[in-house]
Amino acid sequence: MAAGKAQRRSWALLLIRNALLWLLPVAPFWVLATPVYNRFLLGSAENLVHLTESPDVTDLVRKDNHFAYVSRRDFPPSKSLVHSFRVTDVHFHLLMVAALFLAVPAVAWRRRLENLGWALLITVFFDIFLVFFEVKFVYATRLGAWSQAHYGAFARNFWGLGKHLLDLPFKFSFPFLLWAGFYLRELMVEIRLTPRSS
Amino acid sequence: MAKKDASAKTPPADGAPFWQRNRRELTFLILFVVLLGGGFTLISINWVNDHVIEPFTAGIARTSGVALNLLGQHVTMAGTAIHSPRFSVNIRNGCNGVEAMLIFLAAVLAFPASWKSRLTGLALGILAIQVVNLVRVVALFLTGVYFPKIFDASHTVIWQTIVILFGVLLWIFWANRFAVPAAPTEPAT
Repeated sequence: MAAGKAQRRSWALLLIRNALLWLLPVAPFWVLATPVYNRFLLGSAENLVHLTESPDVTDLVRKDNHFAYVSRRDFPPSKSLVHSFRVTDVHFHLLMVAALFLAVPAVAWRRRLENLGWALLITVFFDIFLVFFEVKFVYATRLGAWSQAHYGAFARNFWGLGKHLLDLPFKFSFPFLLWAGFYLRELMVEIRLTPRSS
Repeated sequence: MAKKDASAKTPPADGAPFWQRNRRELTFLILFVVLLGGGFTLISINWVNDHVIEPFTAGIARTSGVALNLLGQHVTMAGTAIHSPRFSVNIRNGCNGVEAMLIFLAAVLAFPASWKSRLTGLALGILAIQVVNLVRVVALFLTGVYFPKIFDASHTVIWQTIVILFGVLLWIFWANRFAVPAAPTEPAT
């Protein structure tokens, strides 16, 4: 009984220690990759936005390594930059995804890396979706009379609530959700809630 | 005393459908998403925001202000804002620790554990998250005063990551250490 408790404690503490240690190499890698990833995100999200408009009038213009503008070609040039946002803020959860997935103790490296690969791929799609929602939220709720004329009450609430839910709770909890999706079974096996499969 | 879990005693066979083999995991994930979405929808209602979240955030500002004054910063507090001659911050949603608390709360409630474990975990976990959040607000204010160039990155990346990761790791520790396990079972074959 005591040995079981110690084992449980050590599994969780090992995971916590590993996650904190993995942040050290993961953070500089993320910082270095951020400018390239921001460009990729803006390009992909712009294409996604174009699927919802005709003709294509939205440009996501990179301002620097971290910020971008939402620009509309159908607005007067002096008003075409309708919104500015920090693209880097969209994807800092990649740090947590990588640290959590690399930290799980007693899992073979090959499986850890496979799971991390899948998790990163899912996160990339989620990030594109976040930028898409940022743009639609601005169009639906932030452009005054133009928003009122082009988006009904339901659409404004949909994009507004969607942005609220995606931007805080689901962006923050996304790494945990992914981790739980891949590794909850390991945790449950550790505490004997689920029998270990052969 | 741990409750016995019938489903753990008779595990589904390997040929069982996916949802049956992963019933516990899927139930947890679905419950977590529902509780999290419900919690955030609740706090997005204006009345709840004005009567619960804003006063709570003002309390965080007051506590942080007291801590900053103890550190010799000579700050004044007004609602959710903290002012000093050199720097000012307004604590808003995203910086009041409510997000990390709701994620922790949803995860604890969704996990199969006794109510005693859940309530103890929630009380201690929420307290711990708020302590870390207090450190965040104080550290961010000091960053704004002494290292303003790194304030933005510190605000949105470094401390967000620390607070959320802390909540997640705290939950893993709670689930692994304090969630009441089922009776020992025979390994599946």
